[in-house]
Amino acid sequence: MRTRNVLVLLAAAGLLACGGERIPPKALVDARAEYTRAKSGVTLKLDPTDVHEADLALQKAESAWNNDPDDPNTIDLAVIAQRKAQIAEAEAAATQAQADAQQAKADLEAAMAAQLQSARGQLNQTQQALNQTQTQLQQTAAQAAAQQKQLADLEAKLKDARDTIAKIAAVKDDDRGMVITLQGEVLFKTGKWDLKPGAMAKLDQIADALRGKEQPMVVYGFTDNVGARDMNMDLSQKRAQSVRDYLVTKGIPTDLIKAEGKGPDNPVAENTSVEGRAQNRRVEIVVQPKKS
Amino acid sequence: MRFATITLLSVSTAMLAMACGGSLPPPNDEWAAAQADVGRAEAGGAPAVPDAKLHLQLAQEDLQKSKALIDNDNKRAASLIAVARVEAQLALSIAKQTAAQDAARKAQDDLQKAKGGGGQ
Repeated sequence: MRTRNVLVLLAAAGLLACGGERIPPKALVDARAEYTRAKSGVTLKLDPTDVHEADLALQKAESAWNNDPDDPNTIDLAVIAQRKAQIAEAEAAATQAQADAQQAKADLEAAMAAQLQSARGQLNQTQQALNQTQTQLQQTAAQAAAQQKQLADLEAKLKDARDTIAKIAAVKDDDRGMVITLQGEVLFKTGKWDLKPGAMAKLDQIADALRGKEQPMVVYGFTDNVGARDMNMDLSQKRAQSVRDYLVTKGIPTDLIKAEGKGPDNPVAENTSVEGRAQNRRVEIVVQPKKS
Repeated sequence: MRFATITLLSVSTAMLAMACGGSLPPPNDEWAAAQADVGRAEAGGAPAVPDAKLHLQLAQEDLQKSKALIDNDNKRAASLIAVARVEAQLALSIAKQTAAQDAARKAQDDLQKAKGGGGQ
């Protein structure tokens, strides 16, 4: 009997103790923690409405726990409070992610725009370089055409000159250039080196044809092998000089024309016949190719 | 003395019955609203996200339980329906969050690729 009384007392004391600070259900503990999380992070800033809803739900759950701890609906209210805090966090995270995505898209657009602009700049530069190259190419082509025309003109003039000369003298080409051969009888009396009047008329035409060509020339004098070599050398030198001097008076520049006596050297025919010796007595005007 | 006790007990039981919601109207409107929340969560992609799918299932279970309780214990049914609603709403919010985070990740990947020069 006494023991029983003690037990009853102990039970009552225990009940009293527990009533003061009873252990709250797990759902409520979770709800408090979830709400604390939602309120302390960025969630409150990003989704204040749902955090407020969670606050109201938690207050409702706390008051149910205080007033009616044994009601099964009390646990439901705690679960609702926890879910509302979770909703706030999920909504805030979604909002944050949307902002992040928007920022990334804006950055992407900016990066693309920058790349596009850079590509356009490069394209422009390439275009400019191409234009420049084209202009240069056109200039070069024009220059080449002009040079070609000049060359053609020169060749035409040369041909004209040659044609003109060919009417009055023998003209041939060898490795020295264009060679105009005038027979000695046409130019000089025997043993003399002053020009016959008829020779001057021919040389006038040759000077006309060669004037302005700016090609170097050498006048060579030749004799046959009759007589002393020294005399022949001297005579051929004087004759070449006469022709050279006359051509100078007709406008061939002094520095472009020289005279040289070759005597009996380089015969063009045998000296054994009259005709052969006549052919060897000659003056050759060698027009050298123009130096480039 | 005994009679008084019995009378007191009867009155208490009656009051308790009232308090328990036996006299509350059936929460048919709330049930329909919860059903709509479940529909929104399903349409919002919750079944495809494991965490959202879990809360969607909880919502559906609570709705099933509450249906059986309607007319017998309307207060308890209403409480379960309220839980079902927040479970469904949370399922939708988680689905939204997952979709938004996936989209953000993709946008950031695209950005990195573009910055990396051609993205090879």
